[in-house]
Amino acid sequence: MSPREDGPPRSDCGADVGAYVLGALEHEEARAFRAHMDSCVVCREEAAALRAAVEALPLSAPQLKAPRTLRRRVFSELRPQQGRARHPARKRVAARVRLRPAAALAGALAVAAAAIGVVVGSSGSSTRVIRASVVARDASAVVSLSHGSAQLIIHGMPPPPPGKVYEVWLKRGASAPAATDALFSVTAHGDAAVVVPGDLHAVNEVLVTPERIGGSRVPTHAPVILARLS
Amino acid sequence: MQLAAEGHAHAFEVVFDRHGGIAFSLAYRMCGRRAMAEDVAQEAFLALWRSAGRYDASRGSVRSWVLSAVHNRAIDALRRGIVRDRRQLDDEGAAERVADARSTDGEVLRREEARTVRSALRELPSEQQQVIELAYFGGFTHSQIAELLQLPVGTVKGRMRLGLGKMRIELDRGAGAAV
Repeated sequence: MSPREDGPPRSDCGADVGAYVLGALEHEEARAFRAHMDSCVVCREEAAALRAAVEALPLSAPQLKAPRTLRRRVFSELRPQQGRARHPARKRVAARVRLRPAAALAGALAVAAAAIGVVVGSSGSSTRVIRASVVARDASAVVSLSHGSAQLIIHGMPPPPPGKVYEVWLKRGASAPAATDALFSVTAHGDAAVVVPGDLHAVNEVLVTPERIGGSRVPTHAPVILARLS
Repeated sequence: MQLAAEGHAHAFEVVFDRHGGIAFSLAYRMCGRRAMAEDVAQEAFLALWRSAGRYDASRGSVRSWVLSAVHNRAIDALRRGIVRDRRQLDDEGAAERVADARSTDGEVLRREEARTVRSALRELPSEQQQVIELAYFGGFTHSQIAELLQLPVGTVKGRMRLGLGKMRIELDRGAGAAV
């Protein structure tokens, strides 16, 4: 008898296994699937087999050397600890010291996140201007909202990479960004004014990513501009 | 690992030197920006240093342990949203390719392994490759992918499972051929 014949029918039990090993289940679903695996040898074995493929995936990325700056950053944090065995009595203090870099990073991220999407001019006017976060150095972008329509105004932005255009996306709540038909490039001075198309109801983020000419249905690059509307 | 777990940084340097390249490569593939990838990789290595005592060889290799930490942190960073990068780093050419005349034996081996994995991934039907890459490198959940691709959730999950299953077979075949 094969192991699969010991377990429940395949259609009832293994449907989530691929998503589970990819980390693509929601938290509750993942928890339920883990609980299911406790009693299902078929899924446990399939998960272990598929995990081997998932663990190989990082190698499909272009293989780079670790930058020297990364090495310096990591070991400048470790050097004060070098040669000091982890004595139980010191553990708590050591942990606190070592936590600083991560805490500092988290803090920096929080500050950066707080800086995203600042309303720069709204009082007494029906137009709301929201400053966007822009990845490119020296570039800036705002979203101007007026009577339910929005315009993205950009200055100092580098042109998209060769063979690419910029594409505007609208994000609602926790949903994945939705594509728009707003594709654009910038002038020689890096300027652009783009009408943000579509219904802005419940939109809480406007994003821009570089995409292939003609646009993509799914973002294929990290956003280069992000404006938080709410 | 034992020495690293006891707090010896020089032992941890060996771990970094062996796995720092692939860790940074994964972070860079997921984040798309050098500065953010460095932040993610740094945070992962510092977390690994702090938790080195919990490493259990029976649960997987050191490389899997390192990559899992990087992957989790990169997903956290992606889900937190993009970060305005105030550092002035040049992305272009900043990341040195392993395909360098001075590559070490370990790097050459990694390049060979990478070729096998890329080939296994390329062998998949494009729709299976797409959902796997969106989930693993993009950090999207199956329901987000279903929405992005306008597909039933069951189809997305089925493609993930089928694609990974085929990939695993291809990898096994590649490993067998190499022996």
